[in-house]
Amino acid sequence: MKLISRRDFLKFGGLTLAGAAGASALAHSSGAASKVTAKPFKPQMQHGDDLIPGIDGEVDHEKNGFDPTEILTDFDYGEVSTLPNGQTLREYRIVAANRAIEVLPGIEFPAWTYNGRIPGPTIRCTEGDRIRINFINGSDHPHSMHFHGIHAGAMDGVPGTGPGGFVAPSDSFVYEFDAEPFGLHLYHCHVFPLARHIAKGLYGAFIVDPPDGRPAVDHEMVMVMSGFDVDFDDANDFYAVNGIPFHYQNHPIPIKTGETVRIYLVNILEFDLINSFHLHANFFNYYPTGTSLTPTEYTDTIMQTQAQRGILEFSYKHPGLYMFHAHNTEFAELGWTGMFEVSE
Amino acid sequence: MTEQTTKNRFSFRTLVLLLLPIVALAGVIFLFLSTGGGLDFQSAAPIEDLTIERYELSPDHIDIYVRNSGPETLTIAQAIINEAVWPFDITPGATIPRLGRATIHIEYPWSYAEAYGVTLFTTNAVAFDVEIPVAFNTPEPNTKTFWSFALIGLYVGVIPVFLGIFWFPALRQLGRRWMVFLMAVTAGLLIFLGLDTLVEALEAAAEAPSPFQGIGLIGIGAVATFLLLDALSRKQINTGSDESARRLSLAYMIALGIGIHNLGEGLAIGAAYNVGEIALGAFLVVGFIIQNITEGLGIIAPVLRDRPRLSSLLWLGLIGGAPAIIGAWIGGFAPSPTLAVLFLAIGTGAIFEVVYEIAKLIQKDVQKQPMPMTIFSGVLAGMLLLWVTGLLIK
Repeated sequence: MKLISRRDFLKFGGLTLAGAAGASALAHSSGAASKVTAKPFKPQMQHGDDLIPGIDGEVDHEKNGFDPTEILTDFDYGEVSTLPNGQTLREYRIVAANRAIEVLPGIEFPAWTYNGRIPGPTIRCTEGDRIRINFINGSDHPHSMHFHGIHAGAMDGVPGTGPGGFVAPSDSFVYEFDAEPFGLHLYHCHVFPLARHIAKGLYGAFIVDPPDGRPAVDHEMVMVMSGFDVDFDDANDFYAVNGIPFHYQNHPIPIKTGETVRIYLVNILEFDLINSFHLHANFFNYYPTGTSLTPTEYTDTIMQTQAQRGILEFSYKHPGLYMFHAHNTEFAELGWTGMFEVSE
Repeated sequence: MTEQTTKNRFSFRTLVLLLLPIVALAGVIFLFLSTGGGLDFQSAAPIEDLTIERYELSPDHIDIYVRNSGPETLTIAQAIINEAVWPFDITPGATIPRLGRATIHIEYPWSYAEAYGVTLFTTNAVAFDVEIPVAFNTPEPNTKTFWSFALIGLYVGVIPVFLGIFWFPALRQLGRRWMVFLMAVTAGLLIFLGLDTLVEALEAAAEAPSPFQGIGLIGIGAVATFLLLDALSRKQINTGSDESARRLSLAYMIALGIGIHNLGEGLAIGAAYNVGEIALGAFLVVGFIIQNITEGLGIIAPVLRDRPRLSSLLWLGLIGGAPAIIGAWIGGFAPSPTLAVLFLAIGTGAIFEVVYEIAKLIQKDVQKQPMPMTIFSGVLAGMLLLWVTGLLIK
């Protein structure tokens, strides 16, 4: 008797079946649901017994060396000084290193990191600042730093463009350029094979503020969307924002009604063509690439391909728990799901 | 005399000499394990192997039975169902020792008749896939399913074999040449069934956990059964029983061989029924009845010229057909690839031994009057009969 692999035909159709919300709605009537042992949501959730994709337990943030909750608001302005010509100089020291990251409880991923974290430090400056990055390769592979922005070819961090394009293990290089244009950008390793170098964790956000800044808000957050291919088959097994799948589902981000929120959203997801962001029970103003101070869209869902990024601005009217997640539902259920906990 | 000498020479010194290489072996193993023997055994990635033995679906639950068939202890870290990370429980624990078993319980709102794929990730990020081609409640061992599996076995095993035996009165009228022809047909049937059983054994061996060496089990089961049956039949010849008793016992052996084959068929049907691979449509059952009716024919072929008692015919039919029921029970309620390999191997050995016995009997029958074309056409007809009726099932 031959195996009938109906799954091959059905699996694409079945994927859209249930967002986490849909799944919990399906399970709502089931009496057996009370027996579930895993409670991915903390006590603030009203329906902790609902069936929802997620993880039981917590990764060891201390051992990982970073915590997504801290990364959210961790903007690195560098070591600031003033050049003789009056220009602001921001100096950074960034070390590439191999590091085992526990991406889900019990699963360690042999990552490559900038400064021991995924994503790397969020480099933030103002348009026109001089950026000087002392890049040290502390890993056993050649790496580089390729910034999105306007700069000289020798500072582009691509193999073949000079010593900055291919920094051998235990070598170093100083990338120096003026920050322009203002907007939300990113940086990543550009050594080949590129897909592997990115997928292993070498990326981060690069924020260039306009000369006069953006309007003040109550909360500014950075969210870098990525994935993990833990079994190296060039397909993502898990998805995350700021490094750890399901982190903001298990640790909802607290905000208050009426408070203004600005999210710097970057997509560096490898292997999959697009990624997306959907905000529940709300709409946001969207500034693609952040290069204009006028929003292009008022929406609740945007999509980004790899290296696309944009700024979201919104505030919540009603208190409650609100999901935000990739509306590629598959990504959401494999880790790219978070919650805002809005109180009055 | 030689034996006597050997006994006399067995002394304490002999014992020491016997044990010496074993002690030395222990020393070598110890040295090797403690020093690595100068070889580098550091592996870049751990070798892990997990055998998915079976799964059970019940309302809102999926249970997956696994066995660690890798060389070392492994730990299950995460479970993904249809591309969603899903919380799970694992008993007795997430860490499974070598050859140890564990059951993964997942609370999941699966839907009837849909397909699911579960991926289990170990702590070393090694992924193991479980395919659920059609989801439906796994039959539980209760009175109702017990009887429905018995019915399946009855339809595909017992009934057709008895239908074949009902040819007995008619075939008794045949002449000597036709009886030889029927014996040859039986040999052909059995060769075909033997090959079929062997292939099924090989398929089951591929699913059994690798440390249990499925192919080796086939060899052990088949060769041991063949030699055992051969020894038994020779012993019977030596005890000087008459020709007709010998033919009856050959009929019993054919029934036994076919019975074990039907046990294998029952195992496959029971297991397939459990995972929803088989719709067991009326057409399929009809196919089994048509194919297996020829088995009943084969069982009675050696005793056509005799007058076996009715009770003998009854027993022959039961031995040949009833194991299908037992097989369906085992396959349905406690499927084990390893056990299936062993059963199928025994069936293979038994069937080929019976072919050998039939060949001997035919040879005796045609001593006075050779009829090579009768034998050729009979064996071929037997094989073709199963091939053609098989078209209805496969």
